[in-house]
Amino acid sequence: MKERRSATALWLALGGVALAAWVFPYAWMVVTSFKTLPEIMSNPTAPYARRLDLGAYREVFATMPVARYTAVTAAMASAIASAQIALALPAGYALAKLRFAGRRQAFGVVLACLLVPTQATFVPVFLMFAKVRLVNTMTALVLPFAASALGTFLVRQALLAVPDEIIEAARMDGASEWTIVYRIVAPMLRPTLVSLFLVSFVFHYSDYFWPLVMTTDDSVRTLPLGVALLREQGTGVRWNIVMAGNVVLSAPVLALFAVVQRHLLRAVGR
Amino acid sequence: MIARRDVLRASAALALCGCRQRARPVREDGRLVVTFWYAYGDLVRKVLLELVARYNASQSRILVKAVHQGDYFEALAKLRTALAAGAAPTLSHVVLEVVPYLARAGVLEPLDDYDGAREMPFVPALDQRGSFAGAGREPLVAIPFNRSTPIAFANARVLEEERVEMPRTWEELAEAARRLTRRASNGEVRWGFEVPVSWWYWVAMVGQAGGRLVEPDGSLTLGGDAGVEAIRFWQRLVRQDRVMRQPPGRDYQAWQSSNESFLQGRIAMMWSSTAYVRYLEDNARFPVVAAPLPRHVRASVPTGGTMFVLVRSAPDEEKLAAWDFVRWMCADEQTIAWSTRTGYLPVTRPAVQRLAERGWYARHPNDRVAYDQLSDATPWPWSPDLFRVDRDVVEPRLEDAVLTGRDARALLDEARSEARRPA
Amino acid sequence: MTPRARWHPWAMLGPTLALLAVFFLAPIGVAAYESLFSWDLLTPPRFVGASNYAALAARGELLHVALRTTAYSAIVVLGTMSLGLALALLVDRPGRLFALVRTSVFSAYVVSWVAVALLWMWMLDGNGGIFGRALHGSPLGDPGWALPTLAVVGIWKLTGYSMIVFLAGLQGVPRSLHEAAALDGAGAWGRLRHVTLPLLAPTAAFVATTSLVTSFQAFDVVRIMTQGGPARSTELFVYAIYEQVFLDLSVGRASALTVVFFALLLALAALQLRVWRARGEAAR
Repeated sequence: MKERRSATALWLALGGVALAAWVFPYAWMVVTSFKTLPEIMSNPTAPYARRLDLGAYREVFATMPVARYTAVTAAMASAIASAQIALALPAGYALAKLRFAGRRQAFGVVLACLLVPTQATFVPVFLMFAKVRLVNTMTALVLPFAASALGTFLVRQALLAVPDEIIEAARMDGASEWTIVYRIVAPMLRPTLVSLFLVSFVFHYSDYFWPLVMTTDDSVRTLPLGVALLREQGTGVRWNIVMAGNVVLSAPVLALFAVVQRHLLRAVGR
Repeated sequence: MIARRDVLRASAALALCGCRQRARPVREDGRLVVTFWYAYGDLVRKVLLELVARYNASQSRILVKAVHQGDYFEALAKLRTALAAGAAPTLSHVVLEVVPYLARAGVLEPLDDYDGAREMPFVPALDQRGSFAGAGREPLVAIPFNRSTPIAFANARVLEEERVEMPRTWEELAEAARRLTRRASNGEVRWGFEVPVSWWYWVAMVGQAGGRLVEPDGSLTLGGDAGVEAIRFWQRLVRQDRVMRQPPGRDYQAWQSSNESFLQGRIAMMWSSTAYVRYLEDNARFPVVAAPLPRHVRASVPTGGTMFVLVRSAPDEEKLAAWDFVRWMCADEQTIAWSTRTGYLPVTRPAVQRLAERGWYARHPNDRVAYDQLSDATPWPWSPDLFRVDRDVVEPRLEDAVLTGRDARALLDEARSEARRPA
Repeated sequence: MTPRARWHPWAMLGPTLALLAVFFLAPIGVAAYESLFSWDLLTPPRFVGASNYAALAARGELLHVALRTTAYSAIVVLGTMSLGLALALLVDRPGRLFALVRTSVFSAYVVSWVAVALLWMWMLDGNGGIFGRALHGSPLGDPGWALPTLAVVGIWKLTGYSMIVFLAGLQGVPRSLHEAAALDGAGAWGRLRHVTLPLLAPTAAFVATTSLVTSFQAFDVVRIMTQGGPARSTELFVYAIYEQVFLDLSVGRASALTVVFFALLLALAALQLRVWRARGEAAR
């Protein structure tokens, strides 16, 4: 009995430590964002802001068109996620359900692309877009990701488990292939598709690398790039402003995550 | 019911077609748009944006759109890739070292025939002809914007307490640094001296040690013995005497770090740019004194900062409009505003005169230091390889030398052979 | 099932295959081609054959970059795996606290690299950072400590992933096995060693290889926190490629680095496949 109680206490304590290690930095980020610069310079380790000063946030919104960057980023991320689902469905369906010459090779192409990261393709892709004058456009940000090898693969795997009878029945009812793919199969794969959408959206929303490479000014600049630029040059970094930018960047993603985490982590929670 | 597929297709199409590069020249509200890429943050950016707003408000023909692109090197990288991708702005500003390279690549607009270009009364050491040696016959492609020299700053209160005077030679510097360095029992140090270990300051020291980057016959010597001496001096201060700290961070992060440490009283003396005079004076809780860099064999400083450049491939209308803005920025009123609010040098002679007449320099002696140093300014060689030599060959080795203590002569020999290899 | 028309499968696969070919397969060929030239994007390219590779090898640059990237990945993988496993074991029990831990650890994985990198830069800042002051200066300024510091930041961000995967794996261990072992007299520690860990081995292999490949591609953390410095000590592969193109304007060198990078990734992927196949066999 005693053993179990002390064990429980130990686990709780360790849990507390882990919680602190992962929550403290965020808390510190938020606290810093409410301080003023003189406060930070005179007493950097003060655990509370003297008062909830919104100056840093005002400065962020003044130096950076937050709304525009956010809109661009959200539009880009949703365009990518939507396109990925729109394309992965028919492609996965064809690979899983239809028999045709060249199917193995087509699947091979998809698998091969799983091995190629954007970090290896960015130089040639940049050169290709430069040649057709599409650098610094939404096209350069969205088009390379419109097809998802991973998404296609996952849809195929999921469809392999779906019995053919359902589709054959739909065919006998006179449904066209497009109807089958988008109106019959898609709803069956809802969990997979929703996860795909969410993961893709969050990943591309937070992406720093690809927009950094593909944009040259702020016409289609994304929010992560804008926040990274808050680190000023030469006159001393104003950390309260950088942290305020951080909060603006992370809050939507964390909020989204809080809402869906129950759904995502349900599989691994108790 | 709208099929999901249709919605998805529509949004994909929307995303894709929002998205070709705009046809130029662009007009907004009937005004011609000039895109101006700039590379400052914080105080300097504020001043710049205010000036741009003032210009936009003063006339209704042209709209200058200023876009922030990071620090000098990030902005330059973006400019070059944008040039290659056909997405370049009308106007930008670049560090001096890269002007010959860009000129040779043919991407800069020649300005000799632009209205009033030949008559602008620039301070001789600050314009293109004065800033470069051997640029006599080159077409005019760069107009001075924010120009500076390195200067020495000191914490006047600490100097007074320790009864140390501002050093005027290298030896005096080493001695002063020694006397000003204080080590507390808890491990904290007040350093006597700090300077970002980087190209600009090394070039200054090479000149002070009597050397030259490029000989008159064009051969790249990287200062020869003087170059070695400069590195050895730093190595001595950091590793042997331990009176100098090498600020952490790459490029401008190191400058930032030095400024911050200085303001917090953790450094007694430092070398930085005249660009920070106002910033340091305003934010220090002690009197800040500025002085010229010390001499060794002779006094010598490079000039720094950036020059305006117009992009050759931009439409003619945009270039003419950009030129109007550049001339306006070089007008007395603007260059005075620019200089007094930051610490950068005023670029025209009439402007300097007016400031002197107004008694500005009497009230702000620190501002005068950089200007007086111009008489010892050493021009840059007009060499298209200069930028590559700076960023690729020398800068990484300087860091290396001071951090690891490698032999300076071997290092420079290596640098020299690398510099002589074609890119 | 047979398709209703011969062109159906190709209409369905067409856009996907075309986009994948253009943006994932063709670029490798383009990179290989460009690596034989010297080009600064502003003047016409010049054919130089294999001299880009030779130059990279001669300066030891290639080797150093590869070693640094491998070292970084190794630290991150070992760190995230051990921490992830420990956390998974810890939070695999009911209770509000443990649910909170799950969520907060995983949330670091979800947030942008920009936010994480800037946050840690602030905390490690020598002048005002909470850890930086305690350490008397940012470890990011020390060439010996910069890379391990980046690895620690990487571990902080990526542990959530391995924790979740291990949790799923733990759930896959049948209770009956635990009960049987308990009946045999095994204590908690014994059960861990003889039941849980062996059954988790395939999961561990999965996590290890995917984390290895992912951390080998690290870029954001370098770009934001150290830009490859100090003294090149944090110049990882992808950052080196980026620098060659965008800062040094040396497309040929960058392409050569890309080719080598891709070859190394293929080798790692082959390793990954070998491990998964072994896992598949073990499961049978």
